Amino acid sequence: MTATVSTTSVTPTRRRRRSARLSPLLVAFVLVPFAVESVWVFWPALQGFWFSLTRWDGMSPPTFVGTDNYVELAGDATFRGALLNTVIWLVLFGGLSVLGGFGMALVLQKERRGVGFYRAALFTPVVFSLVVTALVWRVFYQPDGIADTLLRAVGLEQLIRPWLADPQTALYAVILPALWRQIGYVMVLFLAGLKAIDPALHEAARMDGANAWQRLRHVTIPQLKGVNAVVLSVIVIDSLRSFDIVWSLTKGGPYHSSELLSTYMYSTAFQSLRLGYASAIAVVIFVLALAVILGYLVRAFREEA
Amino acid sequence: MSDFDPGRRRFLGHLGLAGLGALGASSFLSACASSASGPTTSNGSGAVTIQSNLSSPQAKEAMEKLIANFNAQGKGTASLNTIASETFRTQLPTYLTSANPPDLYTWYAGSVANDYASKNLLLDVSDVWKSMGDYPQSLRTLSTEASGKQIFMPMNNYWWGFFYRKSNFAKWGVQEPKTWTEFLALCETLKSKGVPPIGIGLGDTPWVASAWFDYLNIRINGAPFHRELLAGKQRFDDPKVKAVFTRWREALPYFDPKGKAYPFQEATTALLAGKTGMFLIGTFFADAAPKDALGDLDFFRFPIIDPEVPLAEEAPTDGFFASAKTANPTGTKALLTYLSGVEAQEAYVKASSGIVLPANPKAKASDSPLVVKGKAMLDEAKELTQFFNRDSSDALQPTADTALTKFLDKPDQIDAILREWQAGAEKVFKG
Repeated sequence: MTATVSTTSVTPTRRRRRSARLSPLLVAFVLVPFAVESVWVFWPALQGFWFSLTRWDGMSPPTFVGTDNYVELAGDATFRGALLNTVIWLVLFGGLSVLGGFGMALVLQKERRGVGFYRAALFTPVVFSLVVTALVWRVFYQPDGIADTLLRAVGLEQLIRPWLADPQTALYAVILPALWRQIGYVMVLFLAGLKAIDPALHEAARMDGANAWQRLRHVTIPQLKGVNAVVLSVIVIDSLRSFDIVWSLTKGGPYHSSELLSTYMYSTAFQSLRLGYASAIAVVIFVLALAVILGYLVRAFREEA
Repeated sequence: MSDFDPGRRRFLGHLGLAGLGALGASSFLSACASSASGPTTSNGSGAVTIQSNLSSPQAKEAMEKLIANFNAQGKGTASLNTIASETFRTQLPTYLTSANPPDLYTWYAGSVANDYASKNLLLDVSDVWKSMGDYPQSLRTLSTEASGKQIFMPMNNYWWGFFYRKSNFAKWGVQEPKTWTEFLALCETLKSKGVPPIGIGLGDTPWVASAWFDYLNIRINGAPFHRELLAGKQRFDDPKVKAVFTRWREALPYFDPKGKAYPFQEATTALLAGKTGMFLIGTFFADAAPKDALGDLDFFRFPIIDPEVPLAEEAPTDGFFASAKTANPTGTKALLTYLSGVEAQEAYVKASSGIVLPANPKAKASDSPLVVKGKAMLDEAKELTQFFNRDSSDALQPTADTALTKFLDKPDQIDAILREWQAGAEKVFKG
């Protein structure tokens, strides 16, 4: 009897203990990345906020200046230009890569002979590093380069200009290679989405007499909702972090005409060695990204509910 | 690996990671960090590490040869760590402030070195200078910081001038100009022959335009004013500075219009191919020139504008400084002493393709006519300047790049440009 009692009293505690104790492997999987992240991401990010309130040259100890950096940002014409360019970049780069990627995906979704080749070809630019891409495009844009030769061949030589050195064209000349790359990437995302649509839906729509446009409008696009969220986040994040292509092609020049927030932050920090001010720019980028992404997430959740 | 030293992580980490990093875009920053990593550990008796930005093939080979020679002498061991110069430049403050820095660095004499010295980051190398008694006073002054100790060891210097091809000048039937008027006349002649007279390369290297600013300023306002301006003691919106641009404007119609789209290396190619008449550049451009073209190259000094102004020339001096935190000061100084010697400097000059003048007056420069002429020009000068960023700071250079490229595009807006320049410079001086 006593033995039975003891076993019954022991079993629940053991069971409880077992359920409370997590597998050490699982704990490690959570804690180790968290520790690494804290040191390499969270802590520096917090420090960045602190540095944005200081004046610092990277060598002497930073001096606290309060909101001076933000006040200066508000009156900084270069910063305003960079902000405007970032918005232009977001709209043009983001918009055109969604349109281009979606268009390409629609064209290339049907299995036909040779379609795999075109898909692969469009995806190829994604494989190259953007810095390599920049080298290729620089050859394209250089004086008497391929762009100029092409224009001359079609009799448009009056359009020829130093593409990357003209403040009117520099930003757009830099967007083009970025788009060239991004379209292939977005296309793949949309292709995956299109493949996931049940063909029966299209079949049913066709039976109901819907034409191609109506099927696209009322079947395909609504079905792509899940993919849209992914594409949008990818586009916003990629736009705000665009740096390498601009830096390798123009370094934000000539005279800040193709400056983005990211390039301005980099040059302020590592060329002008004004790390406090650069941190303030970094904080602005962070807030912008957060606002766009949170704004989207809130909307997405509301629609879901 | 040095990536994990706290100094670098603080420097790189907080910035990018706060903004971009939180979005997972820190790859470019971490790329910087990892590409700059190298053997930075050293202990009291270990090898002296040299961080070198001499990454062009010939210069790199020359440095390797010097280090091998030094190691063969048995007075210590050294190891060379060559780094792309742009990475080197952005990482230099991090190297110097890290807990366990490399010992010795290639760098430039001038305000950047003095700036580090004022923060007590540089090793006092006055001991080394005791064995360098025959170096000229001008170089000693250049290597001495405010408190009177030497912090720099010059290796060589070079000059800037208008380079041209002798065969082309002969073909066009023109002569070297001496004065600004003659210079403009020469430009007019070349233009009438269908050659863009003045080559320039601002595409990736907008700092090349600073040479024009430096020279016009030291020809019109003199070297002392130039230095004060670059030190923040004069204003960029001063009428004296505007006078520089008034002169510059006279030469603007003669600039190669393609020059703003390509870097100076391609401007060099254009000059050698006879697509431009002449090119105001430092002798380093010859690194990219084919050997057979070198014999055909000649140069003339920047034309005299006001004969009353004492003659000054740009002669940037390259050399070494060491970290104050080096674990092996004895070894570092032994290496510096070796590098300051005749044998090392002659070996460097011989191995490097560049047209450079050794800093040690006893060391023989190459005896090509070009080098003899360059040396004579510098000897004749009353004052030597370094270059815009070396006489001011790397931090001020971007303000000049913006102002000068904008001026070349929109000379009408010069008043606004100078106001912006002054505002930008004030921010840099303020920090």
